[in-house]
Amino acid sequence: MGTANRLTPWLFLAPAVVVLGIALLYPIGYMIYASFLSWSPSERIGDAEWIGWRNYTNLWTDEAFRESFLVTLKFAAAVVTIEMVLGVGLALLLDRKLRGMTVLRTIFILPMMIAPIVVGLMWRYMYHPTVGVFNRTLKSLGFDGAPWLSDGTWAFWSVVIADVWQWTPFIFILALAAMQSLPRSALEAAEIDGATEWQKIWYIKIPLMMPVLIVTLLLRLIDAFKVLEVILVLTNGGPGLSTEIVALRIFRTAQEFQELGEAAAMSNVLLLMLMALTILMVGYNWLQERRAMRLRVVAETGK
Amino acid sequence: MMMNLMKPAALALAGIAFSGAALADPYDAYRGQTVVANFPAHPHYDAVMKVLPQFTEETGIKVEVDQLQYLKMREKQTLELTKRRGEYDLIGYVVFSKADYVFADQLENLAKYFMNPKLADPTYDADDLIDGYVQNIGVAGGTKGYLPGKTGSLFGLPFGSETSVLAYRKDIFEKHGIDVPENYDQLLDAACKVPEVEDGMGGMASRAASGHQASHAFLLHLAPLGGRVFDDQWNPIINNEAGVAAANALKTIVDCGPEGSQTFGPSEAAASFMQGDSAMFMDSIAFAANFENPEKSKVAGKVGYALHPEGVRRGSQTGGFGIAIPKNAENKEAAFLLMQWLTSKKGDLAVAMQGGNPSRFSTYENADLNEKYPYSATFGEALKYADPDWRPIIPVWGKINADIGTTMSKVLTEDLDPQEALDGVAERAEAIMDDAGYYTWR
Repeated sequence: MGTANRLTPWLFLAPAVVVLGIALLYPIGYMIYASFLSWSPSERIGDAEWIGWRNYTNLWTDEAFRESFLVTLKFAAAVVTIEMVLGVGLALLLDRKLRGMTVLRTIFILPMMIAPIVVGLMWRYMYHPTVGVFNRTLKSLGFDGAPWLSDGTWAFWSVVIADVWQWTPFIFILALAAMQSLPRSALEAAEIDGATEWQKIWYIKIPLMMPVLIVTLLLRLIDAFKVLEVILVLTNGGPGLSTEIVALRIFRTAQEFQELGEAAAMSNVLLLMLMALTILMVGYNWLQERRAMRLRVVAETGK
Repeated sequence: MMMNLMKPAALALAGIAFSGAALADPYDAYRGQTVVANFPAHPHYDAVMKVLPQFTEETGIKVEVDQLQYLKMREKQTLELTKRRGEYDLIGYVVFSKADYVFADQLENLAKYFMNPKLADPTYDADDLIDGYVQNIGVAGGTKGYLPGKTGSLFGLPFGSETSVLAYRKDIFEKHGIDVPENYDQLLDAACKVPEVEDGMGGMASRAASGHQASHAFLLHLAPLGGRVFDDQWNPIINNEAGVAAANALKTIVDCGPEGSQTFGPSEAAASFMQGDSAMFMDSIAFAANFENPEKSKVAGKVGYALHPEGVRRGSQTGGFGIAIPKNAENKEAAFLLMQWLTSKKGDLAVAMQGGNPSRFSTYENADLNEKYPYSATFGEALKYADPDWRPIIPVWGKINADIGTTMSKVLTEDLDPQEALDGVAERAEAIMDDAGYYTWR
């Protein structure tokens, strides 16, 4: 094949690659550039002062950023763990032919269709100390009302509950789809071998679903690190900094403190962290697939 | 005969003189122009919308208004003001934007407009404008950079400005023999007595939510209790005795307040008072109209108003909005005429009668306004003590404000020691100020 022929496909691809490249990379490049500036929204980016790594070194000593980083890690770990357990558990429970199952599944996925800002408002009213449904119920049963949003620890778990309520259905849907596409032959073979329901789940269903579960976990983890609206409406990061996650800190740094350079530096740190997580998970998934492929080859060829 | 001939000539001359006066109509040159204004969605500006047709009718200048929720408005203005040619001729701005806009050289200095005899109305009577508001919202470049002084200039006029007063339940106070607090000791006593004597009712509803709200609430007590955030050399003094007293006062108020006070913003605090869940509310005068609206409030007609209690001095807050002309505006002179008309005695009263916040002492003294809004006289009295320096208006304030607010929230919810909390704020504030160059001349 001549050089011209070899280049032809690339020439056809070039416009799309250029457009996509600009659309994807330009904002990231812009953000990286901005992170080296002392830039307030009152000035044009071209007029902003170049301050080198100062925005990054400031982050290192910024107690509030460190605290928000820890809150983010805690929040992401809590919501993803609970959502994975509940989502996969529900999928295992509902992966059967029962009457009304279609309606039930539809009801389950309703929360994730609601805009996060609405979810935040809804839960804020439910957590309201005097007119909220939770405290009214508690009081009608003779208990004291709980400080849902007015105590740091309570507020953290209240936010976690709201997020779990909204996003467990996402895990449930993906886990259910993965479960329903499992090869029936493997399950039937296990049944013939006399495997219990629990053994089928643990030794067949979960391992076979693992690639999907890893992707699902990754998607939720990325989302959990970026969640903003629900927390903004529910607690605005308080009390103190008990629910101020990094995304909210970035928003406030840009919006309230008017420090776009510092906000860009925070965003880059978050981006790097998410990229590292993604690479880790994709790498793990790739290793798992290669292992499975090797096992299949061994099974087929005996070598 | 001569006299007969002279008569029509005199009449003609008088006619020419009269038509000359008509030609000298200051609005004539701007008739048909359109002023594009950007105002916040706020009760004061809702009232303004009702009187704008009157301005157009009198002057022939049309007004288009882009009214936005105030955070959105600030976001939009931030973009608009950096353009070479902006979309807005007149902007309403929230008080702490003064620092950013003036520092970035984005607002017109109003001196040249007030010096222009063709534009400045000689009956304007600027001395009647409320001093604290003008100093807080309009002037920059004087003492500390954000206050009046020999080097200061006027960049905006107060319009939709606010101060703090104490609203209290007359019926509850009478029922339990509680005196209307005149000083902080009485205020804190009353705040904690109410929940003891009135089952399920909090003493005082206050903002306290983490961040800006808790900071606002703390600063509201700091000034009357004798404190400041910085001294004249920008050294943080927020952690002195007065600062600790203000933090303790806020904690007492929140602890004796209605359930869930720790998460209250201004709307929640006002709602608690309007629903009859609290006996007092000390915040902006802007809430009074809602308190007296029986469709929204369960306590309409039962509320008394008093001055912000005295600590070691009197000092009520100053805040709210002002109006200014952006440097990149297209119709600056027409915008000035609108600005002058709105803040004139006549315009100010017209807006106030529609429920807006007066910017003039004379408006508060107006008999018609007092008849319509009986609390106006108390508000007018409160403005004599409006403190323009109750919080600093500097470009780095946002960060310090947020830190005060989150730290105060820890005092209120995690029992963090106020002295320790404020020592931390002072240390971090010093670092922020150092970074921003405030200690360059040390």
